[in-house]
Amino acid sequence: KVGSVAVEDQPDVSAVLSAYNQQGDPTMYEEYYSGLKHFIECSLDCHRAELSQLFYPLFVHMYLELVYNQHENEAKSFFEKFHGDQECYYQDDLRVLSSLTKKEHMKGNETMLDFRTSKFVLRISRDSYQLLKRHLQEKQNNQIWNIVQEHLYIDIFDGMPRSKQQIDAMVGSLAGEAKREANKSKVFFGLLKEPEIEVPLDDEDEEGENEEGKPKKKKPKKDSIGSKSKKQDPNAPPQNRIPLPELKDSDKLDKIMNMKETTKRVRLGPDCLPSICFYTFLNAYQGLTAVDVTDDVTDDSSLIAGGFADSTVRVWSVTPKKLRSVKQAADLSLIDKESDDVLERIMDEKTASELKILYGHSGPVYGASFSPDRNYLLSSSEDGTVRLWSLQTFTCLVGYKGHNYPVWDTQFSPYGYYFVSGGHDRVARLWATDHYQPLRIFAGHLADVNCTRFHPNSNYVATGSADRTVRLWDVLNGNCVRIFTGHKGPIHSLTFSPNGRFLATGATDGRVLLWDIGHGLMVGELKGHTDTVCSLRFSRDGEILASGSMDNTVRLWDAVKAFEDLETDDFTTATGHINLPENSQELLLGTYMTKSTPVVHLHFTRRNLVLAAGAYSP
Amino acid sequence: MESGKMAPPKNAPRDALVMAQILKDMGITEYEPRVINQMLEFAFRYVTTILDDAKIYSSHAKKPNVDADDVRLAIQCRADQSFTSPPPRDFLLDIARQKNQTPLPLIKPYAGPRLPPDRYCLTAPNYRLKSLIKKGPNQGRLVPRLSVGAVSSRPSTPTVATPQTASVPNKAVPPVSVTSQRYTVQIPPSQSTPVKSVPATTAVQNVLINPSIIGPKNILITNMVSSQNMPNESNPLKRKHEDDDDNDTM
Repeated sequence: KVGSVAVEDQPDVSAVLSAYNQQGDPTMYEEYYSGLKHFIECSLDCHRAELSQLFYPLFVHMYLELVYNQHENEAKSFFEKFHGDQECYYQDDLRVLSSLTKKEHMKGNETMLDFRTSKFVLRISRDSYQLLKRHLQEKQNNQIWNIVQEHLYIDIFDGMPRSKQQIDAMVGSLAGEAKREANKSKVFFGLLKEPEIEVPLDDEDEEGENEEGKPKKKKPKKDSIGSKSKKQDPNAPPQNRIPLPELKDSDKLDKIMNMKETTKRVRLGPDCLPSICFYTFLNAYQGLTAVDVTDDVTDDSSLIAGGFADSTVRVWSVTPKKLRSVKQAADLSLIDKESDDVLERIMDEKTASELKILYGHSGPVYGASFSPDRNYLLSSSEDGTVRLWSLQTFTCLVGYKGHNYPVWDTQFSPYGYYFVSGGHDRVARLWATDHYQPLRIFAGHLADVNCTRFHPNSNYVATGSADRTVRLWDVLNGNCVRIFTGHKGPIHSLTFSPNGRFLATGATDGRVLLWDIGHGLMVGELKGHTDTVCSLRFSRDGEILASGSMDNTVRLWDAVKAFEDLETDDFTTATGHINLPENSQELLLGTYMTKSTPVVHLHFTRRNLVLAAGAYSP
Repeated sequence: MESGKMAPPKNAPRDALVMAQILKDMGITEYEPRVINQMLEFAFRYVTTILDDAKIYSSHAKKPNVDADDVRLAIQCRADQSFTSPPPRDFLLDIARQKNQTPLPLIKPYAGPRLPPDRYCLTAPNYRLKSLIKKGPNQGRLVPRLSVGAVSSRPSTPTVATPQTASVPNKAVPPVSVTSQRYTVQIPPSQSTPVKSVPATTAVQNVLINPSIIGPKNILITNMVSSQNMPNESNPLKRKHEDDDDNDTM
């Protein structure tokens, strides 16, 4: 129906810029804009909030038209008059805009070019839209109507007009909101079936949470925790949707250890909060410059890796067990290969230490990730490479070159073998350790990709970007299956819930937003932090969400309560948004301050102890 | 994060005040005082580079003076070189479409460490031992460097090994008890074989040591187990050729 103009997807840059050719008298722009402003302010309350969404994109487009057509003075006065009316969360963009005063400036600015070539999406209810259309079409000069048709995409939904609060929750990204059809494709958010492993019978009794309908087996105890019963979860991807490495014997041993630890896991809840063990990096400042510390802790929580601005990666052991590297080949030849403890003997005792330093990068290290089998460590750096380090020899094995710009984040897949990296070139790449080129390129963000995370079933990758959107990509074919808007600043942290259904994101605006992946909706907003939320983690069973921020606190939120009672039936979700309760205060279970140490990393051990890490920065 | 002092002192040069104003306009409120110096340096260097280039272009065009066109050309050339920006979005979408069309490759089972072909890994030795061409009466009489624990094979190089060699016969007691120590000496085959041949085997030959140098100590030269090189012997550049790394250990 009405409302959208189909324009070719990626028009040539010059074609887009030339679309600004002489569309009306430059001196009248202020009048057009004031006229619209007057109309919107006089409209009914219920429509005003929605129609006010028009102000910002129209303002930017009109300003850029004036600049392109070289009417500098008019542009300047237009900017002066109306920039204060815009919403506060657009102030950063407006500042960038104010520095674009000449046509030449526009050509060099990639972000502004992208802003132009992608249509700004607005979601307006049908009633409000009719009102707007009628008003614009009956005026003599259709200047604004032209701009609306060319540069905006109005996604109409049937339903109640949204309130200012609802709108404010969801706007903020560089390209407006997300179209509803962008979030309609099916996403397999279920978990993959765990392989059945026979646990030796000398285990103590598990308090297994047996799922419904599990038939009695005569075999010894099976891995009951976390696995569904015989029937396939309809929301889980088929086992072989993407090729995954098969389990090696060492992996099976790990899983058995995992299950043993799981029995000793503390069940968390509002009345049983986890203890937090904080690892502080002292003397991490080089002179007075800030140092970026990225940490990752292995699943069994025995190693911590830190990436530093001096381009080293340091690995510490947090258990009494020291770090040993494999002996040199000369010594390896001397040991008896048949002896039982050959795996112990190949380790070099002489150089065992608690800290190993890995040299190799030529720029600050911004991302680090351990492999699930603890054999490898990945690190990504400003020099544009991602390096794979062996944790047995503590040397660098491979350097993956592909991004030619700083790589901000990298992560191994939960099953190993694949890893994803995201950087300044606005794409995320999927690699496999045995291919020197990426397997998939996830392109679509308008600004740097700050954060990349795998879904627990390894079939999807979430990326958070400086264009204030979060996108979910399908590993199988590289398509973007979800776009989540709502943050007002670049996104710095992402985490999936252990059941795979929800995603939590944190950004520089201090809010933590919760998203339902299946329906593609925002289902919660946690306010409380006063500075960038730079780390997020769900507890092992998904009951508690921990968030760490640059405001030197760790906050614990009740995840069970946040996700219960969601009205996510088809009727309410057809509009693309649901009502968000204002319950941040009730969901907050605790705030824990550190001594001027931003919390850069959070990790729940298998027994639900929280490990947090940060660099002391007085 | 420490916040820097806000404005430079009033008697700062005009350029510094301009820089401070630029920072303020761009919304940066906290910065260290050294940032202004950095920016001034950058501005100076950039302008002189551009003007130098412009002078070259104008003299190439045999013009008497440098004019605006030369400067414009100089700016453009430098911008393409130094200030590159990430590829435009449509280009990225295009290559993404291409890359994403190929299906994910299947994973071979039981493949050991899954790494790319050796050419793309960093596991090869990044040095090559210089061959020692020893002619003359010293043939067969080596002066091994016998520092304890080190396996060093180049008598003439200033390796990490401490110069204990010459002093072994002189010292009464070497730093570590050496009476029953086993020393292993690895000699690259290029020393005694023609240089051209690829060291197909790095097996060590038994070395004849002049006992007068060594003195009363018993030194056992072990034939470096060549069996360890079996899997690697065909090409020393293959992965995991770790015996070459021995030279670094102390």
